[in-house]
Amino acid sequence: MTTLANGGTSGLVNIQPPRLDPFKGVKKVPLEEFFTSGHRTCQGCESALVMKMMVKAAGPRTVVLGSTGCMYVANTTYYSTSWVVPWMHTQLGSSGSAALGAAAGLKAIMRKGKIKDEPINVIAFCGDGGGADMGLSAISATLTHPDYNLLILMYDNESYANTDIQLSGSTPYGAHTTFSPPGKVRRIMHHRWKKNMAGMLAAGHPTCRYIATVDMSYGMHAMNTVRKALSIGGPTFIHSLDPCPKGWDYDPILSHELGELAVKCGVWPLYEVEDGVVRLMGKTKEIASGRAKRLPVREYLLKQGRFAHFTDEDIDYFQGKIDEMWERWLVPGVIPLRKEIEADRPPA
Amino acid sequence: MGQLYAVEIVYRGIFQKTLAKNISRAIVLAAHREGKPGISFGRYGDSPERNGIPAKSFAIVATDEQTLEEGMAKYEPKEVDVTICVDDTLCKGVESWAWYGLQPINRLLKPGGTLVVTSKEEPPVLIGMIHQKDVPYRLAIVKGTPSFSGLWVYKDDHTDVRLLGTLSKVLPDLFSLMSLQEVIKEEWDDPVKASSALRAYERVNPVVVPPGQGNAETPYQFTLPKWTEMPEGIAIPAIPLGHAMKDGGNGHSGGFRPERNPTFKKYTTRTMRPVVDFDLCVKCTLCWLQCPDSCFDVTPDGLYDAAMEACCGCGVCEAVCPEAGCITMVNETRFQDNASQWQAWRKDPQEYKRWVRETIADRPDRSHGFRYRGQYQEQLPEMLTIAREG
Amino acid sequence: MAHATATKVEETKGADKTALITGSEAIAVACKLADVDVITAYPIRPYDTVMQYVAKLVANGEMDCEYIVAEAEHSQFEIVKHASAVGARVFTGSSGVGWMHAFEALTVTPALRIPMVAMVGNRALDDPGAFGVEHNDALAVRDLGWQLVWVDSAQEALDTALIAYRVAEDKRVFLPCAISCDGAFLTHSQALVRIPAQEKVRAFLPPYDRAKLLLHPDNPITVAPQANEDWVMEIRRQNHEAMERAVKVIGEAYADFERTFGRSYGNPFFEEYETADADVVLVGMGTVSTPIKVGIRELRKEGKKVGFVRVRWFRPFAADELAATLSRFRAVGVVDRDFSFGSPYRSGVLATEIRAAMYPSAKRPPVLGFIGGLGGREVTVPDVRRMTESTLLAAEGKAQPPTQWIGLRE
Repeated sequence: MTTLANGGTSGLVNIQPPRLDPFKGVKKVPLEEFFTSGHRTCQGCESALVMKMMVKAAGPRTVVLGSTGCMYVANTTYYSTSWVVPWMHTQLGSSGSAALGAAAGLKAIMRKGKIKDEPINVIAFCGDGGGADMGLSAISATLTHPDYNLLILMYDNESYANTDIQLSGSTPYGAHTTFSPPGKVRRIMHHRWKKNMAGMLAAGHPTCRYIATVDMSYGMHAMNTVRKALSIGGPTFIHSLDPCPKGWDYDPILSHELGELAVKCGVWPLYEVEDGVVRLMGKTKEIASGRAKRLPVREYLLKQGRFAHFTDEDIDYFQGKIDEMWERWLVPGVIPLRKEIEADRPPA
Repeated sequence: MGQLYAVEIVYRGIFQKTLAKNISRAIVLAAHREGKPGISFGRYGDSPERNGIPAKSFAIVATDEQTLEEGMAKYEPKEVDVTICVDDTLCKGVESWAWYGLQPINRLLKPGGTLVVTSKEEPPVLIGMIHQKDVPYRLAIVKGTPSFSGLWVYKDDHTDVRLLGTLSKVLPDLFSLMSLQEVIKEEWDDPVKASSALRAYERVNPVVVPPGQGNAETPYQFTLPKWTEMPEGIAIPAIPLGHAMKDGGNGHSGGFRPERNPTFKKYTTRTMRPVVDFDLCVKCTLCWLQCPDSCFDVTPDGLYDAAMEACCGCGVCEAVCPEAGCITMVNETRFQDNASQWQAWRKDPQEYKRWVRETIADRPDRSHGFRYRGQYQEQLPEMLTIAREG
Repeated sequence: MAHATATKVEETKGADKTALITGSEAIAVACKLADVDVITAYPIRPYDTVMQYVAKLVANGEMDCEYIVAEAEHSQFEIVKHASAVGARVFTGSSGVGWMHAFEALTVTPALRIPMVAMVGNRALDDPGAFGVEHNDALAVRDLGWQLVWVDSAQEALDTALIAYRVAEDKRVFLPCAISCDGAFLTHSQALVRIPAQEKVRAFLPPYDRAKLLLHPDNPITVAPQANEDWVMEIRRQNHEAMERAVKVIGEAYADFERTFGRSYGNPFFEEYETADADVVLVGMGTVSTPIKVGIRELRKEGKKVGFVRVRWFRPFAADELAATLSRFRAVGVVDRDFSFGSPYRSGVLATEIRAAMYPSAKRPPVLGFIGGLGGREVTVPDVRRMTESTLLAAEGKAQPPTQWIGLRE
C-alpha cells in the first residue's frame, strides 16, 4: 500500500472476502430465503432453483446483478419482484462487466472510507446465451482481475430460453429449438457441439482461483460450491446445468431426475478447479474412479421431447462424443485436447 | 355496421401452446371460407410462455374488413362470445402476470356467451370452481382429460377438432360444420379427425349458469399507480425477509415462513397439488430444498407445509420424497381452497389421515407433459375412444 | 437536498495553479480534483489521451481510484454503470465507433438514473475510419436521456467536468452527462489552463449520495425489473421530469461555480459573441467557435454586423431561450459539424433542432444550414465568410438553399 500526495492510500489492496464455511449436511442449511416465491417461472424450473440455492448459500450480505434472460424476465416483473437481497438488472452480455463494476465500486468507496468496510458478496448471473455467447469476452476479462472478489454464475438451460427457445453455443447437438427444427430435408439443423465453457475458462485464466460446475439436483454440493467461490478471494466462475421443462420438453416432475441423469450419464461432469488443481466431485468422481458405471446417454436423451426426432445413429454419435470426453480427453470431462487428431463425422 | 366475433382460448402455457394455436388458426380459416375475414393472435403479454402459467390466444372474426379493424391493434378483446378453456383447473381463475390479479375464467364472456371446457368432471364440480357472474352464461363440457404436451412433440388426441366442432354448434354464425370439415381436410387430411369434430358437434349439451351461481369469492386485484406515485429509478422495494412460524396449537415458535411476492401468487398455475401425509415424513428436507418456488413453510415442529398460495404444482417434491406415499400429486379439481394441510393435520391428525387416503385413492387422471418417447401414442386410444363414443 | 454553497474563495490555502495541458488532460485533472472512485479505459483515438493521463496520475500516486482497462467499450461503460449503482463516483469516455460499441450501455445508463460523467472525444464515425472531429458520435444518444454539453477550450473542459458532476449527481437529476471535446483541437492541443485548488473543488462538489437507489445490502431494492405496456410510459415520464429539473440545477451550478472559483460563463446554455447589434448570427458547437470568431472580427472591421452563438448544452436543449435570442436577428446560419442523412432539408442535427425550436416563435427569420468540418476538416476563415455572406443574403430576402456544404471539393 502506498500513501498518496493527497493523503489517501492506493495500491493493490484486497478487501477481505467473507468467511463462508461449507454447510455440513442438510440440517445445517439456513432456513432463510433470499429469493422467494412468486416468480413467473415454468413449473419445475431448475434455473429458479439455482437462484434460490445461490443466495441461500451466499446469505444476506449480497448484491446480485442479473443479466437479461429467464431469470430476469420471469423473476422480476415490474412493479414486482421475488428478491429479498438487493438485485439489479444488467445487459445480456454484461454479467462480467457488471460484477467487475460492482466489486470495483464497493472496493473503492470502502477503501476511501466512504462506506463501512465489510465483505459484501457480489454475484452476477447470466444464462448460457448471455454468458457463453454474447458475454464471453466480458467474463474472460473479469476473470483476469485478481483484485476483485466476485462470482459470475452461469445458469445453463442450453438455449436462449426466455425468447422461446433458440439455440445457443451451449445447446447440445441436434436439439430441437425454434432455430433448429427437424425438417423434411434437414433433420439435424444444429450439428455443433456444446462449448466447453468451464474448462475453457479454467484453461485460459491462470490467475483465476476458482471455477466449478454444479447441478441443483446435487443441491448441497451446489450451495457449498457457491460458498467456496465467494470466500476464496478474487473473481470466480460457476457453471450450472439446469434442466428446463419448456425448452427440453418434459413433464416438470422429471426436473430433479434429469439433473441427476445428466451427471450419471457423464454428459455433465461435476468438478472444480481451485488454484489450477482439477478435482472431480461427487457422482462424477465415482464414475471416473470406476466405482460407478456411466449410464447410457440414451436414458437421458429420450426422456426429453427436444431429442424425440433422434435416430439410433444420432444417439450413437452423441454417445460417442461423451465417450470421447471420458476416454480421450487430456483431462477427462474438463480439457478436450488430445494427442492425436481424428476426423469427426457426425450423421446427417 | 357489421358483426364482430371474438373467441378466446385460455390454456396452460407451453403445455397447450400448439393446441391453442391450432384452434385459433382453424377458427379464422373456417370463417374465411364463408367470406368472413379474421385474425388470430396470442396475448402478447403472456409471452414468453412458461409451463403451466395461464395464457390466452384469440381469434377475431368479422363480417367485413372494416368491422374487423375494431378488433385489431389490441392485446385482448373487451368481450368474447366464447371462452374455450382447454384445462379444467383453469376454471378456478387465471393469474397470468404480476399486478393482473386473479381473473375469473368467464371474465370476458358476453351475457349468454358459452364457456367450453375440456374435462372429465360434471358441470356442478366446474361451476363450483368458476367465479360467479352477474349475467347468465352457458357451460359446455367436452369430455376428456385436458390435453397436455409441450413445445416440440404434439399429442394429437383430437382435442383441437372436438373443440372446433363444439364451437360451430354453440356459435353457428362464426362458421358452419361444413366449413370446419373443409379446413380439417386441408390442414390435417384425416377422416378420423373429421369424425371427432362431427361427434363433438352432435354431442354439445350446454347448461345455463344463472347469475350468482358459482364461486362466491372475490378475486383479488390491484390498482396501478400513477407516475408520480412510483419510486424513481425503476427501483422497487425488495420482499422483506420472512420469519419464524407460530404453532397455533401450542404457541411454539420455530421453523421459517418466507415472505412472498404479494402481487404474483402463482397458485393458478397448478393443475395438481401435493398432498402430504405428515405421519410418514422423515424430515429429510428434500421437498423444501428442491422446490424451485420455495413453497414449503418450515413448521415449528420441523415439518414441511406447502403454502397453497405459492405452490404451482410442478411435482418435484413428490419426485424427490424418499418415503412412498408421503407426498402425492393430486388433480387440483379435487380441492376447494388453499388451506394449510399442516394446520389441518395438527388440528385433527386422524381425520386428516382419512382425508389423505381418500383424496389419493380417488384422484382423477392428469397428463402433464412428455415423459418418454412413445408415451403420447399410448395415451391416444383412450382419448380417441372418448372422442368417438363420449 | 445536499448541495454546497461556497461563501468565500479561500486565497491563502491551496492556490490555483496554471498548467499547459490538453483538453483531455484537463478533464483527467478534473477527475482527480473530484476524487473520482472508478475509471474505465479502452483505447480509441482521440479521447483516450485522457485515460493515458489518468494512468500516470494513478501510477504516481496523485490519484486514488480503481483504474480498470476494459476489453471492449461495451464492458467499459457497463463497468462504471454498476460501480455508480453501488455508490462510486465514476468517469469514462470514448470516441466515434468506440462510443457506438458501447451503445447498449449508453441506452440503459440514463434510464437507470446513473450520474456517470463521460468524455466524448468527438470523432467521425467509421466507415471510412477517420480520426478527425465530427459530432455524430455524441449526438447519437440525444434521444436517450443523456445530458450533452460541448466545450471549446481546455479550460472549459475542466470547468465543465466539475459542473457535470455537480449537476449529474444532484438528486433532483441523477442523469449521466457526456462532455464533448473536439478531436485533435481539444484532445491533442495544449493550452494554458487554470487548475483550481482542491479545497475549492471540495466546497463546490458534495459527495455522491445515491440515497434510496443505492445498491447495498442495507437498502434492499430491486432495480429495473422487466416491465410491460402497463408501466413503461410512467417510467419514461419520470425520467423526462428529471431532465426538466436539470435545467434549474444547471443554472444553480454555474452560479455557484462563479461564486466558488471566480470564473463566470454567463448564460450556461449558450454563449453569445458580438450579438448585441448583429443583423445575422452563425450558430455552432465546439471549437468551430475559433475560426468563426476570427471571421466575425474581420467582417466587423468591414462594417458587417455579424455575431455568433455557441451552444453549450445540447441536452437539455434551451429551446425557449434560444428561440427568443435567435428571433432577434434577421437570419441565422447554423454550422453543423455533423450530418443527418435523409433528414428534413438534408440538414445537420443542430439546424433541425433550431428550426423546431423556432417554429412557434412570432418572428421566424430564415434558418440556413451549413455542413462543414466533417471528418476533422478545418473550418477556415474564408469558409466563415462564405457562410456569413449567404446568411446576410438570406437576411435581405434573397432565397438561399436550406443546406449548403462548406469546404467541399466540388
